[in-house]
Amino acid sequence: MPPVLLSTRPLARAARCHPHYPVLDFLAPRTIPHALHQKSRIHSTPPLDALANAANPGTKPPLTPSQRDFLDSALRVNQAGELAAVLIYSAQTPPLVRSHPHLRPLMQHMYDQEAGHFRIFNSLLAKHRVRPTLMYPVWHAAATALGWGTAVMGREAAMACTEAVETEIGGHYNEQVRVLLEWADKLDGRGELGDELRALIGELRRIRDEELEHLDHAVMNDSKDARPYELLTNVIRGGCRTAIWISEKV
Amino acid sequence: MAPPAQLANCVRGTFRASSFRPTLWRQRCLYHSYEYSQPPPFPPAEAAILSSAISHVPAFGFTLDALKLGARDAGYLDVSTNLLPRGVFDLVNYHLVMQRLALKDSVQFPTEAEQGTGKKIGIGAKVRTLTLARLRANEPVIHRWQEALAIMAQPSYAPPSFAELAKLADEIWFLAGDTSVDTSWYTKRASLSAIYSATEVFMTQDTSKNFAETEQFLDARLEDVRKFGGFLGALGEWADFTGHSAVNVLRSKGLRI
Repeated sequence: MPPVLLSTRPLARAARCHPHYPVLDFLAPRTIPHALHQKSRIHSTPPLDALANAANPGTKPPLTPSQRDFLDSALRVNQAGELAAVLIYSAQTPPLVRSHPHLRPLMQHMYDQEAGHFRIFNSLLAKHRVRPTLMYPVWHAAATALGWGTAVMGREAAMACTEAVETEIGGHYNEQVRVLLEWADKLDGRGELGDELRALIGELRRIRDEELEHLDHAVMNDSKDARPYELLTNVIRGGCRTAIWISEKV
Repeated sequence: MAPPAQLANCVRGTFRASSFRPTLWRQRCLYHSYEYSQPPPFPPAEAAILSSAISHVPAFGFTLDALKLGARDAGYLDVSTNLLPRGVFDLVNYHLVMQRLALKDSVQFPTEAEQGTGKKIGIGAKVRTLTLARLRANEPVIHRWQEALAIMAQPSYAPPSFAELAKLADEIWFLAGDTSVDTSWYTKRASLSAIYSATEVFMTQDTSKNFAETEQFLDARLEDVRKFGGFLGALGEWADFTGHSAVNVLRSKGLRI
């Protein structure tokens, strides 16, 4: 199907842009043919700074539905993950810092980085019209509970929670970067790799590196001394994987 | 591997194997690229037939006659309407999709620079403008629209019709400049879908000059949602504040939470 569509794209575009019946423009209500009315419009900047994009809307061949699907669920899961990370850190900080004041700068640094990631994914979702996960309020509550719970269990438990979450998240981002690099290779071969995908890959790599940095901080701060270490980390990692799977679909 | 990890892996494998997503859902959730073009909404032959058929709808309604005349105008045989397995619903769907895609070009808002120091148009006002624009796009076929609503209400066509309504609500919020990506993404689109469909039905029996009563109806519905949303927002803020204050007071008393 796709090759047929591509070769007759001009026909489809013409059919799309020129409906064969009068269209009433709300701003100037009179019945005139749509095509004529186009010329008298004041052109302006569409929302979300997409001026350049509107002037030159997508010149490369379309991404396949499975590629768009992948990008859609990838960005949705990433946003959900960063939401959880931000909430875990903000819930962990008060109990932890009360008993161990020297951890305040570290917690602040990790929180700031996660908040930055969250902002990035929020803007990507809004820009590319990806819907957020329906489980947003559930993850909100669960992440707050997880952060608070592990913090009252103690410093080592809080660090073990961070270690578990960051291990899963690091692996998850790594997988996404791998898939996107494969695409980038193929598209580059055809000369179709644009800034959009390149920028996305760059951002994901940087974010993955920062998440792994948090993992290192957690291990340096005695996460392995948590009791019960195996149970805690396996439950949290299992929970993360389940949450990732659910957010991809829902 | 420790038992909990093995269990997690096994469960994950089961989930992956039985991963089922209805086609409808898949078509809805798609990433919008700015560098890569969007595929055209209809295959070329169907687009040609449907675009000609639409021009016959004011005279013949959303019927097979309109489709056959459209096929003839486009240079196809009458029997080519068999290309459209859903018959007249495909015609209704074509109208819905094309009018939704036309919104981007038919409504333009002035930029910051063009507006100067005048009052900035709020997102609510933009949503109102876009919704009215889409409603007015029904005017050429409004006397046939009850027929279209009946076609859309059939059990096999209701799910795709709802999907189109949801896409329209998404389009309107996006063009109005909404950038929220939390739970309000869903509540905004749900409320706008309800308002739009109620106003559309009202418009089919509106006989006032230039559909003034439809505009008033829309304004009343938008006002209702604004008030209700405002109340819920205030309630949420209050609950949030009270909860945080309670926890902080207990912490200041020395309770280790």
